[in-house]
Amino acid sequence: MSAEKAIDIKNLTITTQGGRTLVDNISLHLNKGEILGVVGESGSGKTLTAKTIMNLLPENLVCKAQSFCVLGADYLTMEKKAKKALVGSKVGYVPQNTGSYLHPMIKIKDQIADGYLLYTKNNLEEALQRARRLVSAVGIRDTERLLKSYPWQLSGGMRQRVNIAMSLMNKPRLIVADEPTTALDSTVQMQVVDLLKAVNAQHETPVLMISHDLGLVKYYCQRIVVMYAGQIMEEAPVDEVFANPKHPYTRALIKVIPSLNMKKGERLAEIPGQITAKRSAGPGCVFKERCSYCQSACERDIEVKKVNDKHFYRCALDL
Amino acid sequence: MFGYIYKRTSHAIEVLLIVSIITFAVLQWIPGDAAQLILGAEATPEKVAALRTAMGLDRPWYIQYWDWLKGLFQLDLGRSYLFGQEVVTLIQQRLPVTMSLAAFSMILASVTAIILGSMAAIKKNTTVDYISTSLMQLGSSVPAFWLGMLFIVYFGLELKWFPVAGYVSPDHGLGPYLHSIALPSIVLAIGEVGMLLRTVRTSMLDSLSQDFMDMAKAKGLASSTMYLKYALRSAMIAPINVMGLQFAKMVGGTVVVESVFGLPGVGRLVLVAVEQRDIFLFQGLVMFITMLVILISLLVDIAVMFINPRIRIEMQGE
Repeated sequence: MSAEKAIDIKNLTITTQGGRTLVDNISLHLNKGEILGVVGESGSGKTLTAKTIMNLLPENLVCKAQSFCVLGADYLTMEKKAKKALVGSKVGYVPQNTGSYLHPMIKIKDQIADGYLLYTKNNLEEALQRARRLVSAVGIRDTERLLKSYPWQLSGGMRQRVNIAMSLMNKPRLIVADEPTTALDSTVQMQVVDLLKAVNAQHETPVLMISHDLGLVKYYCQRIVVMYAGQIMEEAPVDEVFANPKHPYTRALIKVIPSLNMKKGERLAEIPGQITAKRSAGPGCVFKERCSYCQSACERDIEVKKVNDKHFYRCALDL
Repeated sequence: MFGYIYKRTSHAIEVLLIVSIITFAVLQWIPGDAAQLILGAEATPEKVAALRTAMGLDRPWYIQYWDWLKGLFQLDLGRSYLFGQEVVTLIQQRLPVTMSLAAFSMILASVTAIILGSMAAIKKNTTVDYISTSLMQLGSSVPAFWLGMLFIVYFGLELKWFPVAGYVSPDHGLGPYLHSIALPSIVLAIGEVGMLLRTVRTSMLDSLSQDFMDMAKAKGLASSTMYLKYALRSAMIAPINVMGLQFAKMVGGTVVVESVFGLPGVGRLVLVAVEQRDIFLFQGLVMFITMLVILISLLVDIAVMFINPRIRIEMQGE
């Protein structure tokens, strides 16, 4: 159990009760003060991984791991109640911005502070003071009006700021952000990620940022983990991912980032095919059906290769 | 808000008009004649004709209808020739009984359904879930008259916990009053609780699967806060609508239970009106029940509006 790592997961596997593998033996760590980006398409298992960290894994899924430590606490031996308290008091959760993470029938002021009240034992006035400070820190001017509003009276950008403010109420020691910029327009996207970055810089709060947008993650993360069909394809510091991508999937993801220098009428790049259900394809590389470099070597099980201490990838080929 | 109530009221008047036309028309068309029915088959034609004139049945139908309708808008529901009293008076005498029954059984059924239904949803597919849903199915499939008789035999005659029949007005003390309506209320509640419990369970399950419950859990909130503050709040809208319907149904008369327990309520009055062919009484009762159902559903809609801030605020914005 290492105290320097905010998250330390070894060999995590998540399956359905029917035995279908959704997350396949992944190991992941998040260092103190670091922003880690987890990138991949829908269905790559990144959200499930985040939900496991947030203690939100649906009950019909089975989760196994060799070790699973969050903020120094061992999830595997911990009691349910203690886990809930740990997540509630020390981990901030910024969900996808679907608008459904705030209760539509409860005013913001009545739902932003209930976790804070529970874990700090402060009174409601102090809680609302803190809420006001945080809400204005995330760039909302009319804080009183916002706190008196219901979630559906707010725009998507406002709601996501409320979510972020809410995740910061308890001075979290770890932030898990699951696609925090989905359904926001691009200027607001930048503001939201800037906010998370500022919190990270101020308090050295480690952030686990899940995204499907490599272009966004590029500017904010120190390290990137690329997931595909429940496996980690590549893991490296952000500069290396872009300077020296080893895995064909990483390369494909970089290629699909739209560039401002595109000519008129030029088609956006895409990765052909669809993500395969893990293991329905049999042994071998999970990406082989869509990979333009696929060879006979890809039919065998793939070993993880090491470029240096911080750069790993899972590909049979040496590109 | 006021616009809404105005809209609903004018809609209610339309419904009342339609119901009044149907009721009046049906009773005009049925074979036989009110005066003949009262006097019996042996009455002489002269006597029948005299009674027809006295009752105003010899006038054209549209005048009869108009007179009746005018009365309705002044809350005059007509006069029962069987009792020789105003229908309104007859209802006034019996309404407290039926209202008490409806209110108490609704309270019993709602509390049980909300507690058991929520538990069944929270502990979905566990023993708690199976037991509560199957018990409730049993409750709603047992006929009320039989259950009523069983209760009378066991709790009334065997254990002597409750009186077997009759109604004691609250004027004679709260204790005897509650004592007299306890058994029938329980019997009624058992019949109603099943459907309500299902509704609570279904909407609670829906509520529990929402993303805001994930958020509540991520905030580490206590189970009681999660379920009471977050889940139950949005799960209550559908059950409140069902409660309103059930309550309206019961206020309109709980014929079977009132008969089994010998309670002088509105349900029994309806039965008498039908059995004795008291057409004016019957017409009056139908109109009264219609008004009551409309009023209750209006109240339910307003209640739902107050629970759901979205509807409330959009109303104020209008």
